[in-house]
Amino acid sequence: MLRIVCIILATAILPAAIRFEEIAAKSGLRFELKNGEAGGFHQIELTLGGVAVLDFDNDGCTDIFFTNGAAIPSLRKTDAKFSNRLFRNNCHLTFTDVTAKTGLAGQGYAMAAASADFDNDGFADLFVAGVKGNTLYRNLGNGRFAERPLPVPETPRWAVSAGWLDYDNDGWLDLFVSNYVEWDAAKEPRCGTSERQYYCHPNAYQGLPNQLFRNNHDGTFTDVSRASGIGALVGKGMGVAFADVDGDGFTDVFVANDSVRGLLFRNLGNGRFAEIALEAGVALRDDGHAIAGMGADLRDLDNDGRPDLVVSGILNDSFLLFRNLGGLNGFEDMAQRTGLLMSTRQLTGWSLGIFDFDNDGWKDIFFALAHLMQLDRYLGREAALPNRVYRNVQGRTLEEERTGLEGAALHRGAAFADFDNDGRVDVVVTAVNGPAKLLRNVTETGGAHWLAVRLRGTRANRQGLGAVVRVHLADGRDLYNHATTAVGYASASEPLVRFGLGSAAAAEWVEIRWPGGPVQRVAGVKADRVVEIVEAARP
Amino acid sequence: MMLTLLVLLWTVSPGQADYEKANRLFTAKQFEAAFTAVDESLRRDPNLVPALTLKAKLAMAVNRFDVARQCLEHALTVDPKAPYAQFLYGLEAYLTNDLKEALPRFRKARELAPKDARAALYLGLTTESTGRADEAMRLYREAVQLEAVPQSDTWLPGARLLLLLGQLEECGTWLRRAVQLAPRSRDAHFELARLLLKQGDAGQSAGEGELALTLPGGATSDATVHYLLIRAWKQAGQSDRAAAHAAVMRAQESAR
Repeated sequence: MLRIVCIILATAILPAAIRFEEIAAKSGLRFELKNGEAGGFHQIELTLGGVAVLDFDNDGCTDIFFTNGAAIPSLRKTDAKFSNRLFRNNCHLTFTDVTAKTGLAGQGYAMAAASADFDNDGFADLFVAGVKGNTLYRNLGNGRFAERPLPVPETPRWAVSAGWLDYDNDGWLDLFVSNYVEWDAAKEPRCGTSERQYYCHPNAYQGLPNQLFRNNHDGTFTDVSRASGIGALVGKGMGVAFADVDGDGFTDVFVANDSVRGLLFRNLGNGRFAEIALEAGVALRDDGHAIAGMGADLRDLDNDGRPDLVVSGILNDSFLLFRNLGGLNGFEDMAQRTGLLMSTRQLTGWSLGIFDFDNDGWKDIFFALAHLMQLDRYLGREAALPNRVYRNVQGRTLEEERTGLEGAALHRGAAFADFDNDGRVDVVVTAVNGPAKLLRNVTETGGAHWLAVRLRGTRANRQGLGAVVRVHLADGRDLYNHATTAVGYASASEPLVRFGLGSAAAAEWVEIRWPGGPVQRVAGVKADRVVEIVEAARP
Repeated sequence: MMLTLLVLLWTVSPGQADYEKANRLFTAKQFEAAFTAVDESLRRDPNLVPALTLKAKLAMAVNRFDVARQCLEHALTVDPKAPYAQFLYGLEAYLTNDLKEALPRFRKARELAPKDARAALYLGLTTESTGRADEAMRLYREAVQLEAVPQSDTWLPGARLLLLLGQLEECGTWLRRAVQLAPRSRDAHFELARLLLKQGDAGQSAGEGELALTLPGGATSDATVHYLLIRAWKQAGQSDRAAAHAAVMRAQESAR
């Protein structure tokens, strides 16, 4: 009897471990990221690997688009191995390569992908960022994509990440591009010792400003980098994250920078941004040093309705975690108190994502990990690392879990979606010169419920990106999330807004604050489904 | 008497005089002249270990780590038990981020000179960089105990690690000792300001930070102090003072 009581108590108290199963090969997802290295220690070889997930054919099953490298120094896809690839999800955990049919093989040295419906036609489009050349693809809705022109800067830049947001709340998605450093293969500096060369530190290169393109509503864009203030600051841009940080109804932008301070662009709502990372306390690490910022995500980790910030860095940086204090109060450093600081100090992180992998109502954090290549000798260990997930224990601490994540590789991009529509968030991860991984979430959630909200803007942008969703449960809890496809490093996730509901089988109501302010409430929403909420017409 | 003189003449290296000259020039921070003198010393006696270690130090000062490594390897071939050469050999690896090499070199330096606080301190720093915080802390404790003349800088790495580990009370003890040993150390006052901010005493933290800003040098840049002061003044409810420090930081960024 005592034994049974103990087992029951243990079941009730011990949370289920978050577990993944790697199924890329058996699901037909065969993709290898190639960086084109040929002994030249070119900086671009380190930073590629973006992946985007999107339902390009609107069949309800999320597809996967991989960016890929090219030959160096030509920056051309001289071989089929360099092709970008689109894999169609066949809806039963198998994938078919549809790159040729869709016209997405690409041409240059690609870094990142950003997916969203920029023309509000109901089909997800794609932006591919790259070295000295970006490409915008419009989804024609017939299984094919067509290139669309973008304003081109006088000097082609090296973009590392990008994302879609409606910064002016006009109902059309605009494009933010995070640029890294000035780079030219012919002028690659030589770094290392006389006996041994290695990749240079970012200090060897000049940084670049970021770019913002305003959607002209006709399939064209205007470069508003200067007018908006975004282009006024030079950084070494890596991952970007979007959220309404101060709760004023306008989407703000955080950019993780490599070895220089992070940038937080506060959207002033008048077409301009003010850079406030210093005042907000998210510019630097607690000791005032810049980390090699890589990936970033802004999501509410403590269920207080305010998006918190997580940034990955490199060995001996420790990853950053900032709790949003609301309004213009900025953020407080929580990396130490949550346990993230010391436990990530020996890691190098690239993409990351804040999602509730066990559906317990608290968002967890996934990190794609790998040390920099060629540093093996100096580290005394392999550059390849296994990925890691941190389980959020009621918004107070983060506990690392590694089940199903044991395989080490040079991981880079990671994107998040429920590929098998079972209510658990899965992950696709790229690895430099290695096969991509599809990590199927097989967590025993103990019957925990979930809800995914598919937004359909009518006045707002079609996918409702920027909308803040609040789920109210019968036990009085409120859960928050927002719609964005930008995630982690160089990657893009599904546009659905997901919630783990724990034991709640329904939400008493779901409230959407659409971009621009209108608030809509839907009562009695049953759990364990994807629910579509269409923006109500204004009275 | 004659015999003693003969022994001395026989044991004094032909490079000794130039080495001593080089050492004086090094102390006077006349590095170029020191380089010339030490090269002359080594021309006269290629195996003079103190000259080899001095040349290694000079080479590291100008980022010629390859030259430093050659000198130290030569010195340790001549005298494998030369403790200072062994310590510098570890330092050469540490400063070039070659942690894998630095660890065994510092360990050997500790074996050769168990009472040398520097070897313990740098072995601690290297150990911390490889992720073994408890072991590093043990070495920092040993380092401060070994020092015949306590130095503020020896207390700071341990204090910083205690701050990272969230052991704020003990960190305070270490930092107050560091400040006591060097009341005009910017580094020590800055770290104390960080601790006070973590402990929720924003006003005191701002005071320490403002003091740090008036103090010279160290490893703490103006920007890191300004960044702390932005947060400290903001928490203390003085947004205007926070804004002033943010403005200074931005002006410095623009000037770069």
